[in-house]
Amino acid sequence: MTAIADPHITSAGKRQPGTTGWLLLSPMLLWLGLFVVAPTAILFVYSFCQRDELGQVVFEFTWENYARIADPVYLNILLRSIWYAGLTTAICLVVGYPVAYYIGRAPAQRRSWLLLLVMIPFWISFLLRTYAWISLLKAEGPVSALLQWAHLIATPLEILYTPTAVMIGLVYTYLPFMILPIFTSAEKLDNSLIEASLDLGAGPWRTLSNIIIPLTKPGIFAGVLLVFVPSIGMFAVTDLMGGARVPMIGNVIQNQFGQARDWPFGAALGITFLVLFVIAFWFLHERGEERR
Amino acid sequence: MKRLRILLASLATLVAAVQLHAAKEVNLFGWSEYVPQAVLDKFTAETGIKVNYETYASNEEMLSKLLGGAAQYDLIQPTDYVIEALRAKGKLEVIDFKNVPNFKNIAKEYTNLPHDPEQKYSVPYMVGTVGIVINTEKIKEPIAGLNDVFSGKYKGRIVTLNDNRELLTWAMRTLDLDINKVTPEAIAKSRPILSKWLPQIKLYDSDSPKTALLNGDVDIGIVWSGEAAILFQENKKFAYVLPKEGAHLWIDSLAIPKGAPHKAAAEQFINFILRPEISALISEAFPYTNPNTEARKLLTPEQLANPASYPGAAKLETFRDIGKAAASVDKLITDLKGGS
Repeated sequence: MTAIADPHITSAGKRQPGTTGWLLLSPMLLWLGLFVVAPTAILFVYSFCQRDELGQVVFEFTWENYARIADPVYLNILLRSIWYAGLTTAICLVVGYPVAYYIGRAPAQRRSWLLLLVMIPFWISFLLRTYAWISLLKAEGPVSALLQWAHLIATPLEILYTPTAVMIGLVYTYLPFMILPIFTSAEKLDNSLIEASLDLGAGPWRTLSNIIIPLTKPGIFAGVLLVFVPSIGMFAVTDLMGGARVPMIGNVIQNQFGQARDWPFGAALGITFLVLFVIAFWFLHERGEERR
Repeated sequence: MKRLRILLASLATLVAAVQLHAAKEVNLFGWSEYVPQAVLDKFTAETGIKVNYETYASNEEMLSKLLGGAAQYDLIQPTDYVIEALRAKGKLEVIDFKNVPNFKNIAKEYTNLPHDPEQKYSVPYMVGTVGIVINTEKIKEPIAGLNDVFSGKYKGRIVTLNDNRELLTWAMRTLDLDINKVTPEAIAKSRPILSKWLPQIKLYDSDSPKTALLNGDVDIGIVWSGEAAILFQENKKFAYVLPKEGAHLWIDSLAIPKGAPHKAAAEQFINFILRPEISALISEAFPYTNPNTEARKLLTPEQLANPASYPGAAKLETFRDIGKAAASVDKLITDLKGGS
């Protein structure tokens, strides 16, 4: 995680790893080779192939899959997915930052309890938790009944299977991924710096914007990445809580590998997505380097 | 030398034992929630043949595993259009109907259909339709067809299957087009209809559309008849009608993939399934339409009264494989959903 958050340390290349270094690295390299490089290579090859009537991949070269992506239908969905993922990231940041900061600054005993509370949902299957949300939010569900009982709404709650429900599901799913890295940064924050800032006449807001936020930046950066990247490709929440009404790029890709039986097109979408992401990451990284 | 002979002899015994053992099993790759365990146990008790039952949740999942070739299946349970595609690619064995005398129990209306015109490759297992399920406590007006569902009155009260081809087919029916000729013109003509329909749909769900109906989130559904039959069992307020414009009839069949290692056992299993009392047992567990005439005689009046299992007469049609036209259908629906 720190490698992602602080890439200049590893890219400086001060020392070459020796034999022991390579040996220690080998499990990770093997892992990367088997589960990242190899599947990506297969996807890359498939993306230039065709499909037959049964949906089997036929190894005949074509550009057609990439030409289809340029269609505004799919471009619009990509833009919408970026917008949803961006909104999810923003909400997670605004909600998660104070929580993470509070946990990071809490006394050790309480800190471990609070952390446990953040982690507990991970012990339950993601799908089960999503179905639990469906039960909570349904028109005849407890949330609706409670709000009606309190006379806050007159008619049953109509929130399930709307974009709002999708946002609730996405924020709920990814919030811990924002809290945990920021917590790690906030925990390491040197209290004396904050005291110094306050002593030297900076108000709480200035201390926050000039001291606390810059010092927790690696955590923020890691959190943003950890939320934005998976939420852009999410398909289960949009299917289950959004009623599959508004397709995201993840749903489109999933459909190609399922019902549509068009693996080459799905592969082309996946590769395009990957390339876009690498470019965006490289661009952000370069700008970060320039500023130093 | 003697030792070698003993070794060889024991090896031969071992091979024979393995072969004997091999003949005593059959690998069934079927839909999840479709073959009751009791039926499998009865078959094993009677024949000594062990059934290895592996399941899938969609035809596409079955296809990718079958064509991936990693596993050796003896029996698969594909839907009609998949049989057609597999047959065209030479992926199915011809069934020896001499070993399946109980095939005579299958009603004629479910045999020799376009997906297997000579009835050589498949035996119908269960059949069903795609129709309209209505919560009659909430919807008081009569609903007879697709145009009634999408009149605009029930905006936000509708669940449909999340299936691009189904959606297109419904629009094509109201235009009186041949549902199996998915041409660019047919797609262009259907587009304005679907663009009016899709915004009225509250959710798309192929896996369990009954959930939203039971939860009261929607009042009308266009769903598999099996889902509607379960709803009717839960509560009699759920009525089921086949759209007057025509409905999709689907037929799940048993078929033997090419190169199946236990073809004889597979045929024995098919024949067993076709026995009236066994078939009735399946109907009891899963309320689909039973194509077995003799088995239907054994069903209770209550089972036969379920309108989703045994609907009235209507214009019924099976799907043909549309091959690569699926890509245009995918694009159409993705576009329209995105625009809504």
